[in-house]
Amino acid sequence: MNVRDLVHPGRRATSAQAVIIALALSTVATALGLLIDRQGDVIGVSFYFLAVVLASAAGGIRAGVIAAVLCSLGFTFFFTAPEYALRVARVQDAVAAVVFLVVGSVVGLLVARMIDERERATERERDARLLGYLATKLLSGEPLDRVLDDFASALIEPFELLRCIVSATTEDGVAEERSIGGAGPAGPTQTLTISIGNVSFGTLTAVRPVGGRVFSDDDRELLEAAAKQAAFALERARLDAQVRGAQLDSETSRLRAALFSSVTHDLRTPLASIKAGVSSLLSDDVAYDPAQRRELLTTVLEETDRMNRLVGNLMDLSKIRAGALVPAREAAAIDEIVDATVARMRPSLTGVVVRLNVRPDLPEVFVDPVQIDQVLTNLLENAAAHSPPGGEVQVAAASFRDAIQVRVADQGDGIPEAERERVFEAFYRGDAAPERPGSGLGLAIAQAVVVAHGGRIWIEGAPGGGTVVVFELPVKVGSA
Amino acid sequence: MKVLVVDDEPQIRRALRTSLEAHGYEVTAVGTGEEGVLGAAEMSPDLILLDLGLPDVDGADVIQRIRAFSDVPIIVVSVREGQHDKVAALDAGADDFVTKPFGMEELLARSRAALRRGGAEEPTPSVMRYGDLTVDLAKRLVTRGDETLHLTPTEYGLLEVLVTNPGKLLTHGWLLRKVWGQGYGTETTYLRTYVRALRKKLGDDASAPGLITTEPGVGYRWVAEPTG
Repeated sequence: MNVRDLVHPGRRATSAQAVIIALALSTVATALGLLIDRQGDVIGVSFYFLAVVLASAAGGIRAGVIAAVLCSLGFTFFFTAPEYALRVARVQDAVAAVVFLVVGSVVGLLVARMIDERERATERERDARLLGYLATKLLSGEPLDRVLDDFASALIEPFELLRCIVSATTEDGVAEERSIGGAGPAGPTQTLTISIGNVSFGTLTAVRPVGGRVFSDDDRELLEAAAKQAAFALERARLDAQVRGAQLDSETSRLRAALFSSVTHDLRTPLASIKAGVSSLLSDDVAYDPAQRRELLTTVLEETDRMNRLVGNLMDLSKIRAGALVPAREAAAIDEIVDATVARMRPSLTGVVVRLNVRPDLPEVFVDPVQIDQVLTNLLENAAAHSPPGGEVQVAAASFRDAIQVRVADQGDGIPEAERERVFEAFYRGDAAPERPGSGLGLAIAQAVVVAHGGRIWIEGAPGGGTVVVFELPVKVGSA
Repeated sequence: MKVLVVDDEPQIRRALRTSLEAHGYEVTAVGTGEEGVLGAAEMSPDLILLDLGLPDVDGADVIQRIRAFSDVPIIVVSVREGQHDKVAALDAGADDFVTKPFGMEELLARSRAALRRGGAEEPTPSVMRYGDLTVDLAKRLVTRGDETLHLTPTEYGLLEVLVTNPGKLLTHGWLLRKVWGQGYGTETTYLRTYVRALRKKLGDDASAPGLITTEPGVGYRWVAEPTG
């Protein structure tokens, strides 16, 4: 008898074991009966009852019935006159023997059934726990190979397996096979398909070591249930992948549509102004006075700059999309980059007051200075565009833990908290100001650059209203 | 003054020719690098405006080939590039870098500065004045108003190299080799520290510079025009 048989006596005892248990207990009962009171019918009978009950409990129904038969024979043989003969002299002894046989059998039956029921309940509970555990593992949302590993290893112990092999076909047709457990020669083996209806997701193979028990119906049933769980999980993974694919497709086409409309709108608008201005000046019909000429030419110049910025941003965006935005990193000082960017942009920042609060003794950063200049340029352009006339744009830089934090603050209307993440999406323009100039690319590019540098960028609200864009760059990362 | 324009875009050649001729320059415009090198040799221009993206020869090669026989000022006129392309062109011997699209004002200002340097037949005056700042190259004396500035030898060396190359975009590597010596070239942190100190002593605000401008990742430029 192995461990599991001892735990399941009611159902697991073989015929030979039942006979042995019944014989042993009947013998003990007889011996005890004879020892204590050779003539006492009652005591002998009570030991026999005990023997039948114990036999039922330990060996199941079969052991109980066999014990009942043996005990009634023993009773007739040892305790009724004539002694040591399977005969009875008195009618009441015969009746007693028969009654004992019936009562003993019934009691044995009840005890065995009771124990059996309890065993089954425990087993069902354990099976349910196992299936529940498998379900949580399978739906954990971790990568498929990890999930399958967890699933397979969860089966090893309850099923006494040498190893467990799960092979699954992923949504894109790639077969994933995970084998958990020892190598060694295979004993009893059970293979099941992991399927829902007639859709197959793979197979589950449970291997016991050589000399292990053959898989019982119960084992197979439980394994089937486990395989079903796996099938549901795999189906869900497949559906998830499909949904993600669909989302990606719609995101890409949404971006393309936005790009197309942005390019046509944002390039055509300045182009229209330029063409109108220049063709007016070339026209012989009207004589423009110097002020009017200057006005027209200023428009042309401004619109060319606007187009230039847009084309630059579009180029950056396509580089980001192509994964070609690799920073050419070098040791650089953030105060120097901030100063240079502000110095270069001053002519176009006439409507606002720029205030700098950059400590000169900040640790160096390991960045692409031109790309960080681009980030600052985009942030300053945004800040200036959203500032009230004469408003203050503040650029501050300070070290914060192992990073340098740069903050660009304006005194504009601010960005509602709900929109603060969305503004980094390409072509996103606040709902409140859809007609603001700009392509909606500045922040997307700034974010891509900062992330490519291992940093992060986010929006905060300024105390008196207004927006603070903060970006953080790690100090000297990868400078070795 | 003769200007050689090397650019493969006919529209750019036309715009530059029109503008420069209106400002009194004599303009020759060619469309390839080979023609550019040839033109530089045959017509001895006073200034070359060179596009880097030529169809036949790499821009840096054109610069090197011209530098083999001429010290003519070369201004690179090119679309937005990374700092490495700029540094490569400047290290090959270009004097300055103007990004397309550019404003004509800016190009003309850079051209004038380059021509001044190139036409420096007369020796650099020993005393340079920039507003209230005076740099006496002979006495190695720098004063601001009535106050004599105390510069360290390295700070003075840096200032001297800057004021004697006015308007020119000087790369980090070039400045380090020139001021610190041949063994240097990558120690931009030193250079930054000294530029910062020099700016402070000269009273120049890096975010609104009147004397030294910064080109991040590339180098520095002395932008002050001498007064008297």
